[in-house]
Amino acid sequence: MKQSPRDKKLEEVLRSTQLVAGGFMGSDPRHPIEVIEQDIIALEEAGMTTTRLSQRMKELTEIATPRLGNWIEGALGKLRVKSEDFKGALVCPWPHPGTFDKRITTVEHLETGQQVTWTDLNIHMIAEHGFFEGKGAFFRIEPAEIVSILFEDEAGI
Amino acid sequence: MIDFLITVSIISSIGAVLALILVLCERYVVNYGPCRVTINDDRELDIQGGSPLLTVLRDEKIFIPSACGGRGTCGVCKCTVKTGGGAVLPTETPFLTKEEIADSVRLSCQVKVRNDIDIQIPEELFNIQEFKSTCTEIEELTYDMRRFRFELVDPPAIQFVAGQFMQLLCPKYKGSGEEVYRAYSIASDPTQRNLIDLIIRLVPNGICTTWCFDILKEGDPVMLNGPYGDFRMSETDAPMVFVAGGSGMAPFVSILSEMRNTASKRSVKYFFGGNTLKDLCMANEMKAFEEQLENFEFIPVVASPEEGSEWVGQVGLVTEAVQQTYSDLSKHEGYLCGSPGMIDAAAAVFIGLGMPEDKIYYDKFS
Repeated sequence: MKQSPRDKKLEEVLRSTQLVAGGFMGSDPRHPIEVIEQDIIALEEAGMTTTRLSQRMKELTEIATPRLGNWIEGALGKLRVKSEDFKGALVCPWPHPGTFDKRITTVEHLETGQQVTWTDLNIHMIAEHGFFEGKGAFFRIEPAEIVSILFEDEAGI
Repeated sequence: MIDFLITVSIISSIGAVLALILVLCERYVVNYGPCRVTINDDRELDIQGGSPLLTVLRDEKIFIPSACGGRGTCGVCKCTVKTGGGAVLPTETPFLTKEEIADSVRLSCQVKVRNDIDIQIPEELFNIQEFKSTCTEIEELTYDMRRFRFELVDPPAIQFVAGQFMQLLCPKYKGSGEEVYRAYSIASDPTQRNLIDLIIRLVPNGICTTWCFDILKEGDPVMLNGPYGDFRMSETDAPMVFVAGGSGMAPFVSILSEMRNTASKRSVKYFFGGNTLKDLCMANEMKAFEEQLENFEFIPVVASPEEGSEWVGQVGLVTEAVQQTYSDLSKHEGYLCGSPGMIDAAAAVFIGLGMPEDKIYYDKFS
């Protein structure tokens, strides 16, 4: 795959461990552009868009934040959610302004026990860059999996 | 077609060679000559130009806080560059507000000293030192929180004010190819000048906390620098309300030690919040402070005690416990240490109960 200098630089930044431990690409050998393209296809196959998904993630994070790390359930149908702040900040690896609090949101499907976890930076990277991180990265999100958890019971949200 | 490809190749090669020459010249040939760094209109450093301001100052043992080690990714190393700093770089703008840019605030890691330069930094930074230390004790406080004790080797003693923080240098390791600095509040007694205690909570996928929890062992050498920060107990007699969660415990341990050392009679209620009982820690130490201090009360608050537990303390959010305890905080001072969410929520409660905003002091994890 032929890379422009900008794509090459982006890959370097995403693979480096300068911003997060282990980097954003994990052990994924693919180029980030390939990762993005294949994840967008998987998302579309699940009937979802990055805009709609990131809006739902943001909405759930905002619901959970005031509970300071405690689970919220009952009003969320088959889901429960918690959001916890940690020390530090996360910086978007793309070349534009973007620093996010290190807030980690976890959603659990109460019937299946499936969990999905994201940071505020994940929401931004999905919304703005279509990037779900490389396979093996700590905060990698599988598009089909998150859709199946967050949208299975839409009426309850 | 072949002619076209040859032409493109030649032009690309010339571009690459020129770029290489520029890089080599920048590194080996360009000589910015002697430059003078004037600090706070008072102190002058005569140095060889060409290095980032952060590095120049660090070489002169003047430490500006920086969490990323000068790579322009944390935005912490701000200082005012009155003249000689050149234009604000695109790498700086994400971290600077419009007001800061108007006030000539810059990231010292991004400003290269190429000529005489005039800067302004807080006077307290002159007191910051770099310490070689040895990690002598690692104590598990909860499932995700540990207290690390560092004995100072060179220099062998430190003077700090209870509430201040240190920076710990996390070296390269598998999973992190860069050295980074991270800030942690001091949790030790200020009179124990030969050691520093830090309480650190494991951050999922955090570069430095992963190193501290998985790699750092007792006996290992560790570089620290500090002390930094102006979070501290005021010199009034006003009754105080402390609120913390997680590793926000650290500065209060130090402040309570100082109160014990000075036989302080100030009234303090300390609300410490945990999500479950597993998040509570240092109960014995807090009990000891209650016995040693005349007017100190420790109030642990648990949001969701485990089913079947025999917890008889307060249940709910730490902010709710404050609301239930007080009806008027207009004469109190509030001290907060923890996550931005907790601090914002607690500050709103304080203000709602009449506490003046300028009597709310906080140390935010950011």
